[in-house]
Amino acid sequence: MATRFERQLEELHVQMITMGSLCEKVITLSAKAIEGVDCAKEVFDTDREIDAKEREIETLCMRLLLHQQPVAGDLREISAALRMISDMERIGDQAADIADLSRFVDKNCVQIPEEIKKMVELTVHMVTESVDSFVKSDIDLCRKVIADDDKVDEAFNQIKGELANLMYNNMDVKVGLDLLMAAKYMERIGDHAVNIAEWVEYSITGVHRNNEHQLGGNEG
Amino acid sequence: MTKKIFKSSILASVIILILGMACVLGVLYQYFGEQINSELKKEAEYLSYGVELEGETYLEQVNDQDSRITYIDEEGNVLYDSMADEANMENHRDREEFQEAEETGVGQAERMSDTLSERTLYYAVRLEDNSVLRVSSTQDSVLALTVQLIPSALGILVVLIVLSGIFASRIASYIVEPINSLDLDHAEDNETYEEVAPLLSKIHKQSGQIRTQLEEARRNQEEFQIITENMQEGLLVIDAYTMILSGNSSVWKMFQVWEPKIGESVYSLDRTEDFRKLIEKVLEGEHGSTLLRIDNEFIQLIANPVSRDGKTVGAVLVLMNETEKVERENLRREFSANVSHELKTPLTSISGYAEIIQGGLVKDEDIKKFAGRIYKEAQRLIQLVEDTIKISQLDEGENPYEWENVDVYKVAKDVCSHLKDIAWKKNVHLFIEGQKTICRTVRPILEEILYNLCDNGIKYNKDDGTVSIHIKDEGDNIRLMVKDNGIGIPREDVNRVFERFYRVDKSHSREIGGTGLGLSIVKHGVTFLGGTLDLVSEVDKGTEITVILPKDGKKN
Repeated sequence: MATRFERQLEELHVQMITMGSLCEKVITLSAKAIEGVDCAKEVFDTDREIDAKEREIETLCMRLLLHQQPVAGDLREISAALRMISDMERIGDQAADIADLSRFVDKNCVQIPEEIKKMVELTVHMVTESVDSFVKSDIDLCRKVIADDDKVDEAFNQIKGELANLMYNNMDVKVGLDLLMAAKYMERIGDHAVNIAEWVEYSITGVHRNNEHQLGGNEG
Repeated sequence: MTKKIFKSSILASVIILILGMACVLGVLYQYFGEQINSELKKEAEYLSYGVELEGETYLEQVNDQDSRITYIDEEGNVLYDSMADEANMENHRDREEFQEAEETGVGQAERMSDTLSERTLYYAVRLEDNSVLRVSSTQDSVLALTVQLIPSALGILVVLIVLSGIFASRIASYIVEPINSLDLDHAEDNETYEEVAPLLSKIHKQSGQIRTQLEEARRNQEEFQIITENMQEGLLVIDAYTMILSGNSSVWKMFQVWEPKIGESVYSLDRTEDFRKLIEKVLEGEHGSTLLRIDNEFIQLIANPVSRDGKTVGAVLVLMNETEKVERENLRREFSANVSHELKTPLTSISGYAEIIQGGLVKDEDIKKFAGRIYKEAQRLIQLVEDTIKISQLDEGENPYEWENVDVYKVAKDVCSHLKDIAWKKNVHLFIEGQKTICRTVRPILEEILYNLCDNGIKYNKDDGTVSIHIKDEGDNIRLMVKDNGIGIPREDVNRVFERFYRVDKSHSREIGGTGLGLSIVKHGVTFLGGTLDLVSEVDKGTEITVILPKDGKKN
């Protein structure tokens, strides 16, 4: 029979998976919104759900910290969870922002650059993989997500050039700017996915790559 | 147990030691008292002789340090005392020993001192002149004796206790040793205290029971495992906290995890919204089912709550791979849509031409032309229906034909002569390579296969192209290869050309003709004859279809 602490820790795990899956859902929806599917309302609803989940998980983490005084790996997992939920919450917000922007982009008169679709695909994949790495405690997947961020950054730069080109020619500047913003949000979502992966890595190895020198870690 | 035995034996020995010492002390005291008494008696008798002979002066010559000698006249006045000044001494008339001696000749008495630490023993003898000679001696009392003995007694006691401690521990371990060395696995075979025997036989019986129960439990478990492991369907049991309690290998395969995830949350397998909603629902005690999509597989998930005392304590999930079913359903839907479409097209033309003629809009000389068109469309319709019937016959496995020995080369030649005209019209060269090869098969189906393959080869060919049939004897099998250098099939369509009504180039199909069922008939026919089919194609280079048929194909 599992102890109460183990139960709560497991509940935290389940809640984290749920929140991760909500994030995947919200960004898939926002990607659809860019492509012209009318699902902004659903995105906002999911974003609210994510916010509620964040508070719920936060409370659970606090309760665990105060009542159980966890140490070592458990403590790392809980503190990593606390950091991860704020990243996930930001993903939700940015997805909502994208959905908000997409309402101003008239699909019929604008050809959306192919790169944006590619970038959206990459970002969705990154978020899915970062949540996967948490679920499976897979350190290789974490590192893959962290490495994948470069591709998204590169895609963003390409889009920037492309949009500048289009706007210089004949594209509606307003729409162009909106698309640029959407791309930027996507790029930010990619960064948050990286953050999540880094925290997963921390909860597994005990070394966060930003603090390596402080803790004397040598993880590459 | 050793401790208990040790404690009780050491307690017993200590008690016995102390009691023993006390008894010895009492007995010794008594013995010493008697000893002193007899000594006093002797001394008193000796002295009395002396006094009788020599008088009081004799006493003064006696030098006795141990005992006190008192000489008392018949009135009780002390005449002489060896230790005190007789002038100061009181009258001894009322002393017990004096009175006794006056009466009987000898008197005896003992008195405790005021502090109780000593007792004094008296012995008195009456002399001939009625005076009394008393000899007394002091002796320590039991209490004093005890107090005096305490140090040495304690020393002895300590030594003895230590000794008894050593013995007690030896004894205890000696007693316990056989119990410690009991072999509980074979409880009945032990030779030990008879008091333990009933316990052992009980243990023996119970261990037997436990063994059979364990055996049974393991067998049940194994049976269950064999059942679940050999199930195509996935079986997953979760508790109320979504933890996976057990699952069979099909589940792991379906979710594409390579090691059992027992003890983890079921959400680690799949976290899509549909799945989560279903799990939440079932843990609230409601039955539910959903169709999950994992990569390209469709998984039907049925969830049943497990209740105990009206509370949901978990859930049993059954997963079925419905990919084939879903795909078949899609195919069937597509097929019926295609069939109705294909049937409708010629019918619409026929009815259109007929309507024009009926309306009298056609000149008489054109009626013939129109009738020709109606005839052509009707032929097409008939062809379509015939093909559909053939396919469904092959589908059903119904075969109105006989299995017989057939010369494959001759069949190929017949097919070629049938197609000669069509090939000539399209300027396609048709030839056969091979020799007489006998094969046990169904002739009409073989004909149909070759006809359709060659027909396709000619239809989808270029000007001045070639179609060749290669027949090769491979011992048990016959390899039939139909090769053309026509337009070929795009890579993405290669897997679909055998589907019913599937056309690579949908827009031009009507010009080329055909029903879209040809290759489908080939596929079904080959399957019916127990053969295999392989297609290699490259766009603009040509297509090569290989059919391998068993020589002694039997109706199964």
